[in-house]
Amino acid sequence: MEKLKDALNFSDFSKAERIGLIIFSVFLLTFPWIGAGSFTTTVMIQFLLFSLFGMGWNTIGGYGGQVELGKAQYVGIGSYTVALMMVWWKVPFWVSMPIGILIAVGYSFIIGYPLFRLKGHYFAIATICTSLVLKDIFDNWNLVGAAKGIELPIHDHPDFLYMQFKSDTYYYYFIMALFYIGLFYMNWFRKSKLGYQLRMIKDDENAAESLGIDIRWCKIKAYSIASAFVAVGGGFMAVYNLYIDPASTMELSLSIKIALMAMLGGAASLWGPIIGAAFLVPLDRFLGSWLGGQKGLTGIDFMIYAGLIMIVSAYQPRGIWGIIEQFRKRGH
Amino acid sequence: MLIADALLQGILMGLLFALVSLGLTVIFGVMDIVNFAHGEFLMLGMYSVYWANFFFHIDPLIALPVSAVVGALLGLASYYWFIKYLLRGPAIAQLFGTFGLMLFLQYFAMFLFSADYRMIDKGLLVGKSLSVGPFIFDWTKLAAGILSLVAFAVVYYFLHKTKTGKALQATSLNKEAASYMGIRTDRMNAIAWAIGGGTVGMAGGLLVNFYYAYPMVGILFVMIAFACVALGGFGSIKGVFFAGLLVGILEMIFPVFGHLIGSDFLGPHFKFTVVYLAYFIIVVVRPQGLFGWKN
Repeated sequence: MEKLKDALNFSDFSKAERIGLIIFSVFLLTFPWIGAGSFTTTVMIQFLLFSLFGMGWNTIGGYGGQVELGKAQYVGIGSYTVALMMVWWKVPFWVSMPIGILIAVGYSFIIGYPLFRLKGHYFAIATICTSLVLKDIFDNWNLVGAAKGIELPIHDHPDFLYMQFKSDTYYYYFIMALFYIGLFYMNWFRKSKLGYQLRMIKDDENAAESLGIDIRWCKIKAYSIASAFVAVGGGFMAVYNLYIDPASTMELSLSIKIALMAMLGGAASLWGPIIGAAFLVPLDRFLGSWLGGQKGLTGIDFMIYAGLIMIVSAYQPRGIWGIIEQFRKRGH
Repeated sequence: MLIADALLQGILMGLLFALVSLGLTVIFGVMDIVNFAHGEFLMLGMYSVYWANFFFHIDPLIALPVSAVVGALLGLASYYWFIKYLLRGPAIAQLFGTFGLMLFLQYFAMFLFSADYRMIDKGLLVGKSLSVGPFIFDWTKLAAGILSLVAFAVVYYFLHKTKTGKALQATSLNKEAASYMGIRTDRMNAIAWAIGGGTVGMAGGLLVNFYYAYPMVGILFVMIAFACVALGGFGSIKGVFFAGLLVGILEMIFPVFGHLIGSDFLGPHFKFTVVYLAYFIIVVVRPQGLFGWKN
């Protein structure tokens, strides 16, 4: 109960931020009614999904300060669990998604234990490696469809148990609900003991250790929380796309996107991943549909994307949120 | 027989891997930065030779210096225009910065050259092979191995015998102490990037003789290079040479073992999985690598 109160308590934010959150929430709630086309709805769903991924990444990557570039493997675990259980045993989404989370968390503990012996570059590259190993295995494993991927059985009628709907609006509200659960959880997390411990570790590992914090265990816990977030998103991806393959769920570029969105928005802040996703997802989609489609212009969208990343990392490593805060401090 | 053949082929590939990884380890040694865009330097080296061959009909072997120069200039440009500014920020920003550079160069190449797979089909050595006893070598791979070895030796000589090379090593041992001795860190960093870019560009020029050039080719080789650098010990030049050889042999011999015991699960699809796994196990079990001295 106390935790729930903490999660819903945004009072330590400034007035502007709270008003912003309310306006944003009203916009999210009414979005399907204010004349949104199917393309914008897809973009919004993508935005919410990536905000969820980014919030997950923010636990270990933002608050914990560990450069984690292997989140795609947990997207894969989440989506494959949901898809395979549905195809093989007709298990409803509501059963298979929690199982997917459990598998992701279990796997993250197994991987995290050796992984968090490492620091800095070693850690970053090792996370990429683990993710690529898993992708290679799924790419060649005939039982799970190998590189062809798997299609989910389509039901004739909309089915809440299997999360199959005719209209994207339902999916939109579902991912929005997940988004808010994630947001409230993160709001609690940043004030929790683990949240403070992680920030301490990020600032100074030696000092944290001398205060009796079990660094490795803290990082593993944060890593598994991040994995759970991402696995939920993965499960959603499976029922939303009705088709998954290793290339769309476990690709390195997905891991990078997840980390970059949080980074670009501002790591270690509650709003960072949301701002990052709000910025990059539409940029990605609209630039992609404007420029990517035209002949001779392929790649321009990602060049702009990459250029932004380079500028942000060179001039304001704290991301867009860092820039906003800088301006606010100057204003006072 | 099969194993001996794979061993020899593996050594040739390994020499090339060593050259690819050399620049990464030099840059890491001097500045403690992991350059994710390293594979993209390789990719642009490949393209420079490809285009020189395509437009001016220069033989890929003779165009090799072009790729080295392109790589070195690219290294210098990225240092002076970008990496320098990253150094002010925290380590996490440096990682993401070079990641951004990697993406940028990938899509820049895609924009300029499209995503097509390109391969050189005409050249002095292309398509010819040499048979020594029971073994058959592609001339392209043989040349790649031998020239890699030569390039590696030249850089090794430069680093250990010349004054600039010694200054570079001093900087990588202790940046501050070296700067008190009058060694300019900034210039050393730039030299490290030039060497890094030049060697990997040249490796790209060698590689394009027998491997497709496409915008995303870098990521595979940068992962291999990471594995080599980790195995050799981050920053160790001697280490990266032996590590390259080992990874090359591992990558060639693994599918052969799979073939011999009739297992599909050790097939060629997994040859790079082994490299990734090797990296993971090495850094966890022995973070300092085989010859490492830097933590």
